[in-house]
Amino acid sequence: MGSACSRNRGQVVHEDQLYSVKFSKSGSFKWLMHTLSRSSSDVLRKAQGPTPGRRPTLVELCVARVREDISRYSDFSMLPRDLSQLIFNELVQCSYINEELLGAFRDCALQDICLDEYPGVKDAWMEVIASQGQSLLSVDISCSDVTDSGLNLLKDCSNMQSLACNYCDQISEHGLKTVSGLSNLTSLSLKKCAAVTADGAKAFANLVNLVNLDLERCPKIHGGLVHLKGLRKLETLNMRYCNSITDSDMKYLSDFTSLKELQLSCCKISDCGVSYLRGLSKLSHLNLEGCAVTAACLEAISGLASLVLLNLNRCAICDEGCEKLEGLVKLKVLNLGFNHITDACLVHLRELINLECLNLDSCKIGDEGLLHLKGLLQLRSLELSDTAVGSNGLRHLSGLRNLHSMNLSFTVITDIGLKKIAGLNSLKSLNLDNRQITDNGLAALTTLTGLTHLDLFGARITDAGTSCFRCFKGLQSLEACGGLITDAGVKNIKDLKALTLLNLSQNGNLTDKTLEIISGLTSLVSLNLSYSRVSNAGLHHLRPLQNLRSLSLDSCKVTACEVKKLQLAALPNLVSVRPE
Amino acid sequence: MMGKGGEAAASAQHKEENEEEGDMVGVVKLISAEGFEFVIDKKAAMVSNTLRNMLTSPGGFAETREGEVRFPEISTAILEKICQYFYWSLHYASGKETAEFPIEPEITLELMMAANYLDT
Repeated sequence: MGSACSRNRGQVVHEDQLYSVKFSKSGSFKWLMHTLSRSSSDVLRKAQGPTPGRRPTLVELCVARVREDISRYSDFSMLPRDLSQLIFNELVQCSYINEELLGAFRDCALQDICLDEYPGVKDAWMEVIASQGQSLLSVDISCSDVTDSGLNLLKDCSNMQSLACNYCDQISEHGLKTVSGLSNLTSLSLKKCAAVTADGAKAFANLVNLVNLDLERCPKIHGGLVHLKGLRKLETLNMRYCNSITDSDMKYLSDFTSLKELQLSCCKISDCGVSYLRGLSKLSHLNLEGCAVTAACLEAISGLASLVLLNLNRCAICDEGCEKLEGLVKLKVLNLGFNHITDACLVHLRELINLECLNLDSCKIGDEGLLHLKGLLQLRSLELSDTAVGSNGLRHLSGLRNLHSMNLSFTVITDIGLKKIAGLNSLKSLNLDNRQITDNGLAALTTLTGLTHLDLFGARITDAGTSCFRCFKGLQSLEACGGLITDAGVKNIKDLKALTLLNLSQNGNLTDKTLEIISGLTSLVSLNLSYSRVSNAGLHHLRPLQNLRSLSLDSCKVTACEVKKLQLAALPNLVSVRPE
Repeated sequence: MMGKGGEAAASAQHKEENEEEGDMVGVVKLISAEGFEFVIDKKAAMVSNTLRNMLTSPGGFAETREGEVRFPEISTAILEKICQYFYWSLHYASGKETAEFPIEPEITLELMMAANYLDT
């Protein structure tokens, strides 16, 4: 119980996210997995079936029963608060709650009301939310239509520790004054709030207990940071995409000596602005992605002895000045992607032996530079996409036995190079989207039996090569779109029961037979067979794929009408369909 | 599980408690608010974390020694349902039970409160 609540409150950026590895370049898939979490948790539960050993508790069974019979209930206030909280959470999770049902929770002394992105939340709901009174510890009404007057109802909930009103565009500077009275707040999240102005930010001055403050995308925040100066407990501050933040705002950050995490992506700051961060000795995470800073800013950053994560993606870093990176020996995550650095910069990374994630996407680096990465034995994730790295360079990586994820797409690596990474058997995710890779290269990698994500999008894999897929029994996502695979090759995929994403588009010879062969892959969430010879006649083979949420059959002999019929008749979870 | 008077026959095969396995074998008597007694296998009772703690804490509760636990706030009907759940849960965990555990709508809230108290 307690942990379930605190999970709501621990917001902003979690370690997991910081270290997360992008497994798939398809953004839409990520979105699909995200939407799974609330709307169809039921579907997932059912699809997984009863897991031996994990028996539902009687409390869980009762909660589910209450949900099924919810129309019988009009008042839960006689229940102990932890039980009414469980019922409330279940109703929210299953999207059952509405304005009328919410009334049953009046005066229930609930602690957590998490209605993030919940449809229909408006001022009328706030009265019941506020009736929880002094019990209320966390509220999330993000993406709602709540206005100033609705927010004002919370003014007496003075024990509140966490409040999130992200993307609430009805809240004005006046509404923020309510927030200023909630002095026990430790977390406040106001993403994309136009009310956070030079004047509106005065509301934060009283919130002396704030530990986490999220002001991402607040468009008018310029001049407002002066009001934050009393917030001495602040540990995380998110101002990503606040594109009105300039160097003059940065000087107010110099006093936040307890700050551990600072996100400034896409702010309008320069090296001068970064110089104000020099004294933040506890800072462990600094995100300057997309800021117009050069390697000169490393002068100030090099003094941040606690730094664990540094994101300089899409900045204007050149080799000169990069020697300042050498002292940042605690760094675990370093993102230098899309900068003008060359092999000469990589020599300064040699001593950063704690690095776990390194992103060099689209940098001007090649085989010689990789020599300097040889000793970074803790590396778990290495991004080398769109670089001049070739087969010769890979030999420097063959000792990186902890690598979990490696992206070698759009490099000049050929089949012969892949032998050198065949021993990296910790690899779970490998991207080889590259026209030079063929069956021979893939055959060298059959030792990588732990792979869960394999991207061979543009690789020239034929039916003969698909037999290698049988070695990767745990594969969850597979993309092979080089055009040379036929139905015969798909047979090698049919036993990969863990697959949730399968992309075989652009293999123009695949027919309805393929649909039949993969009809046993019931874990599939996303399937793409566009530009193949799949036809209306084969669609019925997809009926068993009950978890399918995305289906792409563009430029096939399939009509939108027939796909729609299938969706209505058999695949209720489909949310994204092509053709439509 | 059985009602008053039947306990003597219950799980006779487990009667002699062996010192090492004493934690799991044998029976325990659960007594409802109205005084109705339910004799169930100790193994089933252990599905409840509350009962597990009572029955296994060394030298602690009187319940451990006497093998009976009174529930002055749990009615007979609810306690019976709870005992059914204990056995359902054991069978479910071993894969023998796949049917849903039936809960009558009119007792759901009371059952939930008792289940919460018994941490099960």
